[in-house]
Amino acid sequence: MAAATPRQYRRPYRFLSHTADVGLRIRGETLEALFANAARALTATMVDRRRLRGTLTRDITVEAPDREALLVAWLNHLLYLYDVEGFLGRDFIITHLTPERLQARALGDIYDPQRHIAKTAVKAATYHHLDITRVPGGWQATVILDL
Amino acid sequence: MLPPPLIIRPMAQIKLRQVDEYRWEIPREGKMRTRGLIFASKEMLPKIHEDRSLEQVANVATLPGIEGPSMAMPDIHWGYGFPIGGVAAFNLEEGVVSPGGVGYDINCGVRLLRTNLERQEIAPRVEELVNALFHNIPTGVGSRRKDLKLTVPTLKEVMRYGAAWAVKQGFGRAEDLAHIEAGGQIPGADPEVVSQFAMDRGKDQLGTLGSGNHFVEVGYVAEIYDEKLARALGLFPGQVTIIIHTGSRGLGHQVCDDFIKVMLKASAKYGIELPDRQLCSAPIRSPEGQQYLAAMAAAANFAFANRQMITHWVRESFEQVLQMGPRDLGLELIYDVAHNIAKIEKHLIDGKEKTVCVHRKGATRAFPPGHPEVPPAYRETGQPVLIPGDMGRYSFVLVGTQKALEETFGSTCHGAGRELSRAAAIKAAKGRRVVQEMAAKGIIVRGAGRDTIDEEISEAYKDVENVVNVTHGAGISKKVAKLKPLGVIKG
Repeated sequence: MAAATPRQYRRPYRFLSHTADVGLRIRGETLEALFANAARALTATMVDRRRLRGTLTRDITVEAPDREALLVAWLNHLLYLYDVEGFLGRDFIITHLTPERLQARALGDIYDPQRHIAKTAVKAATYHHLDITRVPGGWQATVILDL
Repeated sequence: MLPPPLIIRPMAQIKLRQVDEYRWEIPREGKMRTRGLIFASKEMLPKIHEDRSLEQVANVATLPGIEGPSMAMPDIHWGYGFPIGGVAAFNLEEGVVSPGGVGYDINCGVRLLRTNLERQEIAPRVEELVNALFHNIPTGVGSRRKDLKLTVPTLKEVMRYGAAWAVKQGFGRAEDLAHIEAGGQIPGADPEVVSQFAMDRGKDQLGTLGSGNHFVEVGYVAEIYDEKLARALGLFPGQVTIIIHTGSRGLGHQVCDDFIKVMLKASAKYGIELPDRQLCSAPIRSPEGQQYLAAMAAAANFAFANRQMITHWVRESFEQVLQMGPRDLGLELIYDVAHNIAKIEKHLIDGKEKTVCVHRKGATRAFPPGHPEVPPAYRETGQPVLIPGDMGRYSFVLVGTQKALEETFGSTCHGAGRELSRAAAIKAAKGRRVVQEMAAKGIIVRGAGRDTIDEEISEAYKDVENVVNVTHGAGISKKVAKLKPLGVIKG
């Protein structure tokens, strides 16, 4: 397999293979961008993101004991919104972020099997090998999703 | 291009010592409180070594109060926290309970239905049957029932009474309940410790299949290994059977996620050292441990009710399509097993009876003949064990054994176990028409999404026959029959 080219390296997120599940490697210039890209990656795991409209908004607040746990709580809250009302975010604006608290606005759509192509259902974002680290030019996170 | 493998840090080389043809030991080392014990054939080892599942077996062995070895069944693969295929028991004095040892899909499980029908009788109608099932049972990503939205008080009843609730509402028959693990109702369920978030997710998901590897399959008995046992289970060659594989849907996922947060704090509070955060746990006797067990039981009961309701719609679909009454169809429940669960059970340890909490994460209970928790119908045979394979090959019916009770806390494997990641499977299926390929093999497949079908191609899984042969060879369950698919609905 070819090594990652610089262009791929700048991608906001990549899928990593894990036998039963899927891993996400997410990048962002800032922590806010990292959290927004993680949410985009989650949506892209479940549906073809490009077909989503960004006409509905949801304001979201999540809290957790630390930055890594906050990332999991954020992704799992998005899964909750999907389960309860079929809401899928296309774009995300992080309005407030500390290691223990995140406030965001998600712009998205309600899942409609007539308009959207379903991919894989995600049960949860897990804490297994969960990691957020500083890298040159920004931040990188690894999250494994349970499918 | 395939996604790159997930490399987190260099893999520690886990040493394995061969015990016999089917048993491999991870010697106790470092912080491990006990040894690891893997059931596998020699041929399976290279694949097992490829991922980090052995490291996970060793990690589980470090948890307080573990009794006996930290075990893994031959369908072992890399999970999160516990390996998939993992079995571990903890004593009630110092032992812990871990939501990661059960998994997000609490009481994901399998049930098997028999019929009076022979394969030839339904051969021309399989497509119609599959279409009827697909129409009557919501499947796929975020599937929900528009016709059945539960109020909070009703949802709480479901979580308290499990399959019995469904039967009381007219979904199924009273005799079904005697053919479900724990009677379809885990004791000690307390809906009051289940969050509003979890109930929000569950309220319109009861009676839905969901996505991933969940399915309803119409098949037939292709081979019988033990005629006497098969007859006692109500199975005969060529007989039409139905398998249902699903769990507790979003409600269970939320209970797991809620309690992992609780357990992360509890682990720190009780000074439990964690090699992996996903292994977070609390002493069984602590308030956190007790609350998790009560919430887990509630989610498990939701899953039993879910499979019970789907059974009802399977019966209706068969009646509609074949225009036959229940008596002629003979669509009876053989058994229903949970393969993601923690159970409080009594086991003999070093000659003394001890109550322990047995975690089975991707493992099935396999109690022997005569065990008090085996229903009267199977006192002579042992508890039926249902092992689904991939959608293109076959599934197995086995029974539990005395050996399993003595060696694995009465546990065996749960399925084939993935061999290819989902991305690799989708790549392998690219340019192929999987549904047509399956039809050419005589298997009608209907799924909600193309990816979910492609992900489940046969090559993506280990051959379940190899898995079952190890458990049979090791004596922790006994082969009864092989079932082959005719038609499948997938999430």
